[in-house]
Amino acid sequence: MFNSISNNFGAGQITFKDYQASNYVVLNAKVEFDPTNAAYQACQQLEITVPDLTIDRSTIGGVFVRFVETQHYSWGDSVYDGGSVLKSWIKDKNTIVVEKQPWFDQNGPLILYFVTMYAQLNQGANTIKGTKQRLTVTTVDNYLRFSSDTFVVVFDHWVFMHLQFSSCTYAYRDSPWEATFEQMPADVIADVPVPGGGNQWHQDCFGMGECHIENKIFTMDRRVAGFWDTGREPFAFAFLVRDGVEEQSE
Amino acid sequence: MIALPSIAFGGFSGSAKGVTARQVGGRSVLSVKCWPTGAATGAQLVRRASLKKISKSWKELTSDQMHDWDRLAGTATGQSVFGQAAQLSGMNLYVRLNANRAMAGEPLMANAPLHTVAVPNVEYEQVVVTPELMVIGGIRHQPDPFKLVVKMSSSQSAGISNGWSKTVIITPGTEDDWGEVDVTHLYLKTIGVEPMPGEKVFVEIYWLDTSTGFTGMEAREMVVVTGESPYQRRVKATMDNLDPTEESHVSSLDVDFSTGAPVAQFNAQCLGHSNVASSEVYLDEQLPSEIIGTGMCIGRSNDSDGHINAQSYLVYMYNRSGKSQLTFAHRGGTYYTHTEVFGTGIIY
Repeated sequence: MFNSISNNFGAGQITFKDYQASNYVVLNAKVEFDPTNAAYQACQQLEITVPDLTIDRSTIGGVFVRFVETQHYSWGDSVYDGGSVLKSWIKDKNTIVVEKQPWFDQNGPLILYFVTMYAQLNQGANTIKGTKQRLTVTTVDNYLRFSSDTFVVVFDHWVFMHLQFSSCTYAYRDSPWEATFEQMPADVIADVPVPGGGNQWHQDCFGMGECHIENKIFTMDRRVAGFWDTGREPFAFAFLVRDGVEEQSE
Repeated sequence: MIALPSIAFGGFSGSAKGVTARQVGGRSVLSVKCWPTGAATGAQLVRRASLKKISKSWKELTSDQMHDWDRLAGTATGQSVFGQAAQLSGMNLYVRLNANRAMAGEPLMANAPLHTVAVPNVEYEQVVVTPELMVIGGIRHQPDPFKLVVKMSSSQSAGISNGWSKTVIITPGTEDDWGEVDVTHLYLKTIGVEPMPGEKVFVEIYWLDTSTGFTGMEAREMVVVTGESPYQRRVKATMDNLDPTEESHVSSLDVDFSTGAPVAQFNAQCLGHSNVASSEVYLDEQLPSEIIGTGMCIGRSNDSDGHINAQSYLVYMYNRSGKSQLTFAHRGGTYYTHTEVFGTGIIY
């Protein structure tokens, strides 16, 4: 874990959970900023200055950006959170860059989710294949179901996770969700963006929610109003750093 | 021919008929006008045109700007002549640095650079030249604003030991591609013929600081052309690898498997087809069997209707009959045919 030294878009100090190998870096962080601030408006791209990384440049990875929006109606509140994915890369040993896009500047504050792997090329060896483990999801009454493309690829220090939501029993559609992910290592703790779901107020980007993973337990309380709209396919795509709790407890 | 001029030539510079005069150390020196040998390459023509334009633009500078260039020229030295470093005038330096910048596509620099940063020497591991492959490998990367300039000769008889005057610019300012510069296409386009095995190719490489126009010390390599090379090209799938006999559904493609990590680097502009939520790509060669599997990467819609939503894609990889197929199959998010997939993606 390390803290950022500074940034050029008016966010506070950012705490990164990290795994750094000699040829790639996995970073997890969640940071909120106000796109109306002068620093953000002046910058060409978002730059975060950090202590020395193990790599001095990287290829492109994905960083998610999300805004939170609630509409109040006579019958209650409806959630219209949205967002997209931005390109991000390591520019040099001390600088992480995120592309600047104006799409959500009117919808701030914005949240950036680093659930990202930064790799390098021409490393003298080809890609090393991992092992996919389909996630076994357990809920009370089996109310929440995921597609067969819901899986993890587990490594000693990090995990890749892809979730694809399939259906939910009607009685639980408006309830907070909780499920156990059997194959998820217990030492993964993260807030993970959930893009997808319909969003009638933002039909360019559609919805984006957030779930939480901790001790194999998945929770998700806030979901866009059109989460189950046909063809909007809510999902999660994340490289997650393991805390090594299991190793420490031995 | 080189001669000290009579007093009649004092202050004279330029060429007339077969004679060129220039100022060196306050004195005029005459020499036989040099004419280029062989047909000019595209890069040479651009350079000559820019030299003329840059020289003319000197007169448009203010006197302060000219003084600044003169001052900088006082600290810089030109090419060595007869063992002595030649003195440069402000105008010489202005033309030289701007010509270097123009070569790299940079605009004219009217103000002399305030600070000069030492330009690094090129560090590399090998230069490989075969009839089918010309690559410089193991280059120590230098960040922006440094760009690599590569000059090469056509293949020369094995008996020739000095062919440096035969080199022409192959690439006027390129970034290394993760420690590698593959100039095969550029060499063939510029020189026009493949190098002959057993002959020599003269190679000059140097870094150019595109912000100032200064260049680093050139590295020189006299490479014997071999028929084949053990040099291993990175495993990539690009538009150059597409099978022309098959219909592919991408307008750009760059998938790189050289990470040495459990991910590949994906980059493709998917176009979709036939009302199925996928784009297929057919390669003219098989991918190595050890990387054949399934990938997963992120995508972002970029259609003409302004959709910008995130998506996820499975990437199925197959080897069949000496060829490969990649299928970018939509999974998460709302599908649109025009989607850019990018970023590191797991392979399993």
